[in-house]
Amino acid sequence: MKEPLLGAFEEHNKRKHMVGPLQQIHAPMRRFRDYEEVDYVIVGVGSAGGVLVQRLARAGFNVVGIEAGPFWDTEHDWVSDEVGSHDLYWTEPRVTGGSDPLALGANNCGKGVGGGSVHWAAFTPRLHPSDFEVYTRDGVGADWPIDYADIMPYYEQLELEMPVAGPAYYPWGHPHGYAYGPHPMGGVGNALIKGCTALDIPVSIGGPVAILSGSHGDRPHCIYRGFCIQGCKVGAKASTLVTHVPDAVKTGAEIRDRSMVSRIEVGKNGRVTGVHYFDIEGNAHFQKAKAVIVSGYAIETPRLLMHSACAGHEHGLANSSGTLGRYLMAQAGNVVMGRFDQPVRMYKAPPAHALTEQFYETNAKNDFARGFAIQTVGPLPVAFGKQMIAAKKAWGWGLRREMMDYNHWATFGLLGEILPWNDNRVTLSDDKDRFGLRVAHVSFNLHENDKNLIKAAKKKTEDVMWAAGAEQVVQEARYAHLVGGCRMGKDARTSVVDKFGRTHDVANLFVCDGSVFPTQGSANPGLTIQALAARTADYLIEQGAAIFNSNKRDMATPRLRRELAPPATWGKGVPRLK
Amino acid sequence: MKRFEEVDRALCPVDPDTGEVLEPRAQPGYYAGFSTLAQRAFWDEATRKVVDKRVKDAPQRRYLSEQAWEFWSTVFAHLIPQTDRTPERQINLVAGLDHRLEVNETIGYRYEDMPHDRVVYAWGIDAINAEAKHRYGGEFMVLPYRQQDVVLKALHDGRPEAASDIWKKMSVHRFWQMIMGDAIEAYYAHPWAWDEIGFGGPAYPRAYTRLERGEPEPWEVEEQRYAWAAPSASVSDEVRSVSGHHTEAGQHSLLDKGGVR
Repeated sequence: MKEPLLGAFEEHNKRKHMVGPLQQIHAPMRRFRDYEEVDYVIVGVGSAGGVLVQRLARAGFNVVGIEAGPFWDTEHDWVSDEVGSHDLYWTEPRVTGGSDPLALGANNCGKGVGGGSVHWAAFTPRLHPSDFEVYTRDGVGADWPIDYADIMPYYEQLELEMPVAGPAYYPWGHPHGYAYGPHPMGGVGNALIKGCTALDIPVSIGGPVAILSGSHGDRPHCIYRGFCIQGCKVGAKASTLVTHVPDAVKTGAEIRDRSMVSRIEVGKNGRVTGVHYFDIEGNAHFQKAKAVIVSGYAIETPRLLMHSACAGHEHGLANSSGTLGRYLMAQAGNVVMGRFDQPVRMYKAPPAHALTEQFYETNAKNDFARGFAIQTVGPLPVAFGKQMIAAKKAWGWGLRREMMDYNHWATFGLLGEILPWNDNRVTLSDDKDRFGLRVAHVSFNLHENDKNLIKAAKKKTEDVMWAAGAEQVVQEARYAHLVGGCRMGKDARTSVVDKFGRTHDVANLFVCDGSVFPTQGSANPGLTIQALAARTADYLIEQGAAIFNSNKRDMATPRLRRELAPPATWGKGVPRLK
Repeated sequence: MKRFEEVDRALCPVDPDTGEVLEPRAQPGYYAGFSTLAQRAFWDEATRKVVDKRVKDAPQRRYLSEQAWEFWSTVFAHLIPQTDRTPERQINLVAGLDHRLEVNETIGYRYEDMPHDRVVYAWGIDAINAEAKHRYGGEFMVLPYRQQDVVLKALHDGRPEAASDIWKKMSVHRFWQMIMGDAIEAYYAHPWAWDEIGFGGPAYPRAYTRLERGEPEPWEVEEQRYAWAAPSASVSDEVRSVSGHHTEAGQHSLLDKGGVR
């Protein structure tokens, strides 16, 4: 067949704003004026910002989400193409350094409505109960100011809102099941199952991953085309762009895209009064607000607070502790590649479709605290070629030869917990961006526990690849994800925000994104970020006008407001197994 | 693209058994008869536009000088050689680089031991020429193919012998990573390269349906391998699987070990 039966596919609904082939953004969108004092400005409409803007709008607040990147029309803006997806990532200038410099950009930073949830692979494991008390248990890292029981209802809730597909029985951490069925295996998942099974390692098949295994409302199910991290045109992979933002706009939120917030203004009474931002043409604006939530992720959030230094906050806004920008974390993300005699064709199926958390917890036999996971990854040709530079020092004819064997390779990614260290931090560089603002400098250094952990994790992942039947195994060392930099804690002297994301220093200034994590486990952070956002939203809604006119800090836990979820995105509950 | 049209047969891959030169092919690789572009009617319109532009638009030089364009075209022809392709099916490797330097587009960060990308590509010419003069007494562009290959291999190995003033200000490893990255982004983003390696390409809205055991879709083809050896004039065929390191910085220092003098 040379042509589809009804002719080539044309972009339909050109005058409508589409997120996925079926879902349409409600128009017209509400617009606030700069001089109108809105209830909440949310800086950054990504994983956390998307959930916050939805909850707060549905609860009746006047809310503006200011986003540096575009408000995507996925039918028009997104393509099934690696190089053509460059604009999904944060490609504004930054500087990276330290003894173990992190790759940024496409590796871990999104730009545009949906943020990182647009280009995540969408693995959604929960943190384990142990993650919330790492310091108490192991004497390293930090404890969270909340425990697993605090966040569990929000895990269950967001797993339904995304929703997450996965096995009916998931044995690690707090055992639970998934309401939506697991995905079929691709070649890489099969290799992971085979390798793990040969070594008697339990393996989770077909999830947990926030990709639809069956159609859901106006979102079609996955078609296994493999371009997850280039943005899911299908709308099957969850991003807040398709799961929460449409409902936010419908219920009266404004998404002000292509607008870069440059500074948060502090009034004479020590409370924030709004944000300064630049529009796409570079014109400066000031949006008045009763409260501000910063959701710019682990680099841009600290950077914005540093840019907002003022009298009384000389070292950065909300930085009386001196910990702003510190305790930045990435996870070890070494990619182990195995060549198989038989073709694998790893570009089919989502990169994220099977994993094991068997080595997640601290084990007294190891020479390190905490642990790691092993997951499927599925690089497309450009990414795979770059990995071959590192893994096999390939270039020239050698690279051409390796690449001709692309279809024979399967790749696993280890996901290893790196601990929070004081010297891993975001500061301001002397380099400037297009608005004349100093860009972020990221300094990252591995410590002994991290190195020992990575070494062991790499060895185990290689063992699994050999056991899967690979005839050759190589690896590329790299890092994945970013969290920390504005950590939450009970003690205002050693953390930036409290357990609800409210800064210790300014009563109407909140931080809600991955930067608040005190530790990170070896779980992909996206689900936890969204769960924390829903919890912060419940707190803000419970507190009501007190946020706007009082400096009193009520630490009572709010009730879960399930009724504020986007309609028809939750059912009776996630199977709880004990 | 003049250099490509005068393909020297001594620079073409050979049959490893007979040693005879393999005729350049319109489509090298093990998937004869497979064409992603033949499936373009099944792609969405936005994707079709992006890929069509890549295939059809004539390369345009806007940022690089004529000499710099020629220089990097020659270097990239070593990083990703294409003499197994018929001239009309060779992929332009520097047009994308020229465009990204023109609009000052980066990957979103620079390493603190690296200058800005435009400076990298300016200093890179000086450093490669210095290495060429040091080893063979002439600028890179006048050297025969094999000597050019050896000069570049010194950078690949992290062991340049000249231009220490430049390499003090710019990491050899990060430089190599950048130029290889740009070459790869040009070559493996092209549908002709997808055909070569058997990558199915875009599949929205149609879908992939045969996920297991590496089986082809009805419109894909089975692998048909053949043996080939790199041309004897080249030194780039060797690969080295290094797995002693376990951190990214280790990967880096391993390469740079004994590097800058």
